[in-house]
Amino acid sequence: MRNRKKIGLCLILCCAVFFSAHAATDSTRVYIGQVLHPQQEEMRSHAIQRLVALKQASSFPFLEAINNSALYVLGEKAITTGNRKSEEESFPVYELYPIHRILLNAEGKPLLLNASGLKQVEISRADRLQLIPVANWLNIFNADDQKRAMAYGQLQITADTSLLNILSGALKTETNPNVLRAGKEAYYTMLLNNTTDIKKARSLMDLLSANDGDNAIGVLTAYAKQKELPQPLRLYAQQKASSLDSHYVFLQRMQNLFSGLSLGSILILISLGLAIVYGLAGIINMAHGEFLMIGAYATYSVELLFNNVLHIQNTDWFYLAALPVSFIVAGAAGLLLERLVIRRLYTKPLESLLATWGVSLILIQLARTLFGDLTAVKLPGILSGGWQVSPHLVLPYSRLFVIVLTIVAVSVIYWVLFRTRLGMQIRAVTQNRNMSACLGIDTRRVDAITFFIGSGLAGLAGCAMTLIGNVVPDMGQTYIVDSFLVVVTGGVGKLVGTIVAGLGIGVFSKVLEAFFEAVYGKVLILLGIMIFMQFKSKGLFPDKGRSAED
Amino acid sequence: MQIKSPQLVNLLFILFFAAALPVGNMLGIVSINTISLWGRYFCFAIAALGIDLIWGFTGIMSMCQAFFFCLGGYCIGMHLLLTATAIQGQKLPDFMVWNNITSLPTFWEPFHGFVPTLLLCVVIPALIALIIGFFIFRSRIKGVYMAIITQALALGMYLLFLRNETKLGGTNGLTNFKTVLGYDLNASSVKLGLYLVSLAMLCLAYAGCRKIVESKFGKILQAIRDSESRVGYTSYRVLNYKLTVFVVAALLGGLAGMLYVPQTGIITPGRMSVTASVEMLMWVALGGRGKLKGAIIGTLLVNCLYSVCTSLFPEGWLFILGLLYVLTVLYFQKGFLGLFETMGNKIGTTLKRKPAGLNPTS
Repeated sequence: MRNRKKIGLCLILCCAVFFSAHAATDSTRVYIGQVLHPQQEEMRSHAIQRLVALKQASSFPFLEAINNSALYVLGEKAITTGNRKSEEESFPVYELYPIHRILLNAEGKPLLLNASGLKQVEISRADRLQLIPVANWLNIFNADDQKRAMAYGQLQITADTSLLNILSGALKTETNPNVLRAGKEAYYTMLLNNTTDIKKARSLMDLLSANDGDNAIGVLTAYAKQKELPQPLRLYAQQKASSLDSHYVFLQRMQNLFSGLSLGSILILISLGLAIVYGLAGIINMAHGEFLMIGAYATYSVELLFNNVLHIQNTDWFYLAALPVSFIVAGAAGLLLERLVIRRLYTKPLESLLATWGVSLILIQLARTLFGDLTAVKLPGILSGGWQVSPHLVLPYSRLFVIVLTIVAVSVIYWVLFRTRLGMQIRAVTQNRNMSACLGIDTRRVDAITFFIGSGLAGLAGCAMTLIGNVVPDMGQTYIVDSFLVVVTGGVGKLVGTIVAGLGIGVFSKVLEAFFEAVYGKVLILLGIMIFMQFKSKGLFPDKGRSAED
Repeated sequence: MQIKSPQLVNLLFILFFAAALPVGNMLGIVSINTISLWGRYFCFAIAALGIDLIWGFTGIMSMCQAFFFCLGGYCIGMHLLLTATAIQGQKLPDFMVWNNITSLPTFWEPFHGFVPTLLLCVVIPALIALIIGFFIFRSRIKGVYMAIITQALALGMYLLFLRNETKLGGTNGLTNFKTVLGYDLNASSVKLGLYLVSLAMLCLAYAGCRKIVESKFGKILQAIRDSESRVGYTSYRVLNYKLTVFVVAALLGGLAGMLYVPQTGIITPGRMSVTASVEMLMWVALGGRGKLKGAIIGTLLVNCLYSVCTSLFPEGWLFILGLLYVLTVLYFQKGFLGLFETMGNKIGTTLKRKPAGLNPTS
C-alpha cells in the first residue's frame, strides 16, 4: 500500500516535471509566435519580456536575431540572415526555432535567398532594450564567427553562471573550430572559477591547457593569484601556465624560422641572378635591386590591365600571368642595361658599380614619377589565409608560395646551368673568358643571355614580393645590400654557396630579430660576415687550387 | 720668382674664396647664406680628398666615407648640444628627456670640453677605421668585395644611429646648437669665420695630401692601385699601406664632419646613408680620380649643381644625378679635369703646329 503510494507520488512528480518542461517549451513557442505576429504592440513587448525571463536555451538564437535587428519571417518560420542585407547576392539563412540551423531547401542543400525576398520583423528599440539582462549571452548565437568568438571571450569574465547550460548547449552546435576553442575556454574557465573540488579543478586546468585557447595563460595565472586557493592547486596552475608559455615561445620561434625561410628564399631569388652575373663578368650590378622593383611594378601593371582594360575583376589569373611577365620585363630591362652601359665596362668592375648606381637612381625616380609613392597588389584569393599547423602557428600561403617558387626557380636554373648547352657555355665563360672565346663561344651572346636570366630572376622575386609587402619605388634598395652580402658570403660563381648563404642570412636575421631588435640583428649579421671573411675570404665553397691574381 | 701655372690656379682659387667672397659679403653683393653654403662645400671637399686618396690613388673603393664624416659631425654635435643645454640651464639635452634618459650617458662626458672634442672628432673616426680596416685588409678583401663590405657597414651603422637606444638623437639627430666657444652660431661674423676656417683647412688638407701623394709612400699607394700583387712580391707590406691610407681618409672625413656641423646646425643619420657615401665617390669620379684638384672641383661642381637643380626642378634632380653617374663613367673616365687636360693638350698641339707647319710625330 505504502509502496503504491510512493510510486504514485513519483509518477505525479515525474509528470509534473515533464509537463512543466513541456509547458515552458510550449510557452516559448507561443511567445515567439506573438513576437512575430502580435495582435497588439504591447503583446510583443510582453512576449519578449517573458522570453527573457524564461531563459530557455532554445529561444536564445531568436533573441539574438532581435538584438541584432536581423529577424525575418519566411512563411511561418522565424529566420535570420546573419548580418547580411545585400539585395543582389544570395546568401544562406538560419532557422531560429525550435532548432538553430542553416535552412535547407528540398534537395538538402543550403537555401540561398537575398534580402529582397524577405520580410523583416521590425522590433522597436525599447523592446530590444529589454534584452540587456541576457545581452552577454546572446552574441554566442550570432551568425558571424568572429562575433561569436568575441562573445565567448567576454563571457569568461562574467561571474554570472546561471546560464552555464546555455553555454554548453551552444557549444554542442558550434561548427567553427576557432570559435569552438574560444567557447570551450570560456566554459572551462567558468567551471574552474566555481569549483572547490581539487581533483575537478585539476582536470579542468588540464582541459584548459589542452584546449590551446588564446587566453589560457591569462586565465591560469589569474586563477593562481586567487586568495584562499589551496597551495597544490596554485602550484599546479602556475606550472600549467609556465609550460603553456614555453610552448608558445617555441611556436613563436617556429614562426620566426618560417619567416626567415621565406625571407631567405626571396634573398636567394635576388642573389642568384646577382651571383651568376658577378661570376660571369665580375660586375656587381647596383641596379639589380631595381629589377626587383620593375618586376613588382610589372605585376601591378598586369593587375591594372586585367581590372581596367580587360575588365576581368576578382580573378586570381592576373597573378599567374604576372609571373612570366615580370620575368620577361625585368629581363628585358636588364638586357637593355647590359647593351647600353655594362657592355662597355666589363673590365672595370668598380666603375660599373658607380654607373649602375646611377641607373638605379634613374629607375627609382622613374618609378616614382610613373606610379607614385605607394601602391599595392591585391593578394590573390587562393593565396590568402594560411596553413594552420596549430592554433598558434599559422603559415601564410603567400609565404609558402614564395618558398615553392624559389625552389622551382632554383631547380630550373640548376637544370639550365648543368644540363644544357647554354649552361655549359655560361660556366665555361665564368671559368675562363678568353679560352672560351678561343674555343668559339660567342661570349657577348652568353653575357647578354646571362644578364637576361639574372635580371629576370630579380623580376620574379619582385613578383613574389608583392605577396608579402607593398610596392614602393625604392623597394629594391631594402634587399640589395643583403643580397650583396649573400653573394660575398656565398662566393663567386657557386650556386650552392648562394643558396646556403641566402638561406643562412635570411633565417639568421629573422631568428636574431626574435632575440634582439631588427637593427641589432642586422648589425650582428654584418659582424658575423666580417668574422667569417677572416677565415674564408673566398666564400663558403671556394674553388680548389690556387690562382695568382693581377 | 716665376710662378708656374698650377700654382697660379691655386693662388687664384684661394684669392677668390678668401678675399673676393668676404669682400663681396661686406659690400652686400654676396649673402652670408651663400658664404656658409660654400663653407659646407669646402667641408665636403675635404672628405672628398680622403676618398681621392683611397680610391683615386690606392684603388680601394671605400663606400663608408660618409660614415666617418658623420662620426666627426656627431662628435662636435655632442659638444655643441652640451654647451647649448648648459646655456639654457638644463641638465640634459631635450631628446634625452623625451626618451626618459635620466642621467648623461658616460660616452657623452668627454665632449664637455672643446679641445678634447676637437681631438676626438678625428681620433674616433681614425680609430674605428683602424679596427675595421685591419680586419678587412687582413682577410684580403679587395675590389668589389671591399666596396660591398664597406657599403654594408655604412648601412649597418646608419640603421644603428637611427635607433634611439644609441642615445644620439635617433632619426632626428642632433640639432638646436647655440654657440661655439661662446660665439653665437647664427651671427654672420661667426659664419664667415667658420667659412674661412673651412677654407683654410681645405687648403691645409690639400697641401697635406699633396705631400703624401708625392712622397715615396704615395708612390707605393699608386703602385698598389696598379698592381697589388707585384707590390706584395717586392716585399712591401701592402696591408700596412692600405690600412694607413684608410685611416688617413677616415681622419679627413672626421675633420670635414667636424667643420660641417657647426655650419649647418644639424647632423642626422641621413648624412651617413649609403647614398651619401656613393655620392661622395661620385664627386671624385666627376672631378677626376687620381688628381687631388679633381676631387675638390668635382665636389664643388656637383654640390653647386645640386643647389641649383633642387631649387629649379626638384623632381628632376635624381634623373640628372643618375645620368651624371652613367655619363661620367662611360665617357669621362678621367673626370672634368681629365677632359680639360685633353682639351688643353689638343689646343696646345694645334697652336704649336700652326706656326711651325710641321707634322708632329711625337
